[in-house]
Amino acid sequence: MQAHRAFGQTDPAIQISEDEYEKFYEYFYRRTGISFSGKKEYFVEKRLFERIAKTGSDSFKAYFTLLRFQASGEELQHLVNLMTVNETYFFREDYQFDALVRGILPEITRTRRPGETLRIWSMPCSTGEEPYSIAIQILEYWSRADEFAIEITGSDIDSRVLADARKGIYGNRSLQRLSPELRKKYFRRLGDDQFEIHEELRSSIDFSMANLSDPVQMHRYRAMDVIFCRNLLIYFDDTSRRAAVEALYECLTPGGFICLGHSESMSRMSSMFLPRKFGDTIVYQRPIE
Amino acid sequence: MPGPDPGDTAVALKKPAQPQKTGAVALPQADLQALTAALASPESAERRRAARDLGAFPEAGPILCAHLGGEAAASVRAVILTTLIRLKSPAVVAGLLPLLRSEDSALRNAAIEALQEMPAEVEPHVAALLSDPDSDVRILAVNMVSLLPHPKAPDWLAEVVARESHVNVCAAAVDGLAEIGDASAVAPLRALAARFPEVPFIRFAAAAAIRRIGGS
Repeated sequence: MQAHRAFGQTDPAIQISEDEYEKFYEYFYRRTGISFSGKKEYFVEKRLFERIAKTGSDSFKAYFTLLRFQASGEELQHLVNLMTVNETYFFREDYQFDALVRGILPEITRTRRPGETLRIWSMPCSTGEEPYSIAIQILEYWSRADEFAIEITGSDIDSRVLADARKGIYGNRSLQRLSPELRKKYFRRLGDDQFEIHEELRSSIDFSMANLSDPVQMHRYRAMDVIFCRNLLIYFDDTSRRAAVEALYECLTPGGFICLGHSESMSRMSSMFLPRKFGDTIVYQRPIE
Repeated sequence: MPGPDPGDTAVALKKPAQPQKTGAVALPQADLQALTAALASPESAERRRAARDLGAFPEAGPILCAHLGGEAAASVRAVILTTLIRLKSPAVVAGLLPLLRSEDSALRNAAIEALQEMPAEVEPHVAALLSDPDSDVRILAVNMVSLLPHPKAPDWLAEVVARESHVNVCAAAVDGLAEIGDASAVAPLRALAARFPEVPFIRFAAAAAIRRIGGS
C-alpha cells in the first residue's frame, strides 16, 4: 500500500493512501455520479485536503467518517461544490441539442398542430449560453421550426448572471465550439474578445429569476415541453433534490422531457420519470398519465 | 449552412410572456381535513398537491403512511415519500415499518428509501428489525442499515454477521460491511466464513469484504 501526501497540503502528518483514494472515489461516484480519472488527482487532492483542514479532521479516516455519516449531509455538499467546475459555453454537451431536434421535438410535435406553442426552459441558464444555443440549434437544424411558436425561457437563481444573459455579450472562450459561420450569423463583434448576440435572438428569449426550491416561484412555470436542467441537482442534498425533481415534474406537461447533465441520473433521484434514449443520450420523460 | 437569416428568428421564436412576479400567485392554503380528503381525489395532480401541502402538518405522517400503501400512481408515491422524509418523526417511522412486509416490492423499496433518511428515528427499531422472525424482513433491514447514515451502522451489520443463522441475511450484511465496514468487522467476517464452510459464496464475499475494508 503506497501512501502519499498531496501538493500544498498544510498538515504534513495527514496522508491519504491509494486505497483510501479508491474508497473515496467509489463513494463520491455513488453519491454524485461524478467519476474522477487519474489525471484529476491533483484537483481532487487539493480539495480533499482543503475540506480536511476546514473541518478540523486529524486524518483522512476521520474526515471520511464525517462525510459518510453526517446526518445533514452538509459536508458532502461542501465537497460537491468544490469538486464541481462551473464552466459554461455555447453548445456544451451538444449531443443533447442534437437529441432535441432529431428526436425530442419531432416526437412532441407528432400530436401538435402547426401554430401551437412549444415551451423550452433552460434552468439554470447561468449567463445565457445554454438558451441561446438551444435557439440556434432549433433555427439551424430543425426543419419544422417555422411551423410552431417556440418559447424559450432561461431562468437562474442568480440575478447577476441573468443580467449578463440579457446583455448577450461573450468572449472567445464561450464561443469556442461555434463555427465561424454561426459566429458571423448570430453575433456582432464588439472588440477583440467581445461578441454580442444578434438583437433578434436576444429579444426572443425571456430571462427570469427562479429558485427551484421555492414552490411559489415554481408555480409560475407550467406546461413546459422540454426542460434543460443540467449540472444543478448535484448541488442539492438528497431531500432537496427529491423536492426539486418533483417541482420540475409539475413544470412539465405530461409527456414532456427533462435533460440532465452527463453525470446526473434521474434513476438515482426519483422513479417519477421514464428514461428515454435518443441517439447517444438518455433523457427523462414525464409519463402521460 | 442551412437555417434562416438572423432577422427571421422571430418567425419561429416567440418571446414567452413574463412569468408573474413572486407573490402574484397565491397558492391556495388548505387545512388538514381538506388535504386529507384531497388524497382521495381521482386527479393525480390534486393528490400530489395534497401530499406536498400536508408537509405543513406534523400530524399528517400517519395519514400519508396509510395512504401510501393504496396509492397507485408512482408520481404521487414519490411526493408522499418526500413529504414523509421532511416530516421525519417516530410516528412516520412507525407508519413505514409495516410496509416492509408488503407484497409490493416497489412499496417495500420506497419504505426503505424513506427510512434510511431518518437514522435517529429508526435507531430504536433496528434491533427488532434485525431479529424479525421473517428472514425477508431481516434482509430488507440489513439493506436499510447499510445505507443508514448512522455511526452505529457498521456495528449493527457486524452483529448480524456474528450471530445470524440465515445465509442470505448474512450475505446481505457482508455486502453492507464491504461498503461501510472498518477493521473491527474483520474478525466477525472471518468467523462467518468458518460458520458456512459449505457455502463458497460466503467465503468469497467475506474475503472480498475483508480486502476492501483493509484487512489482509
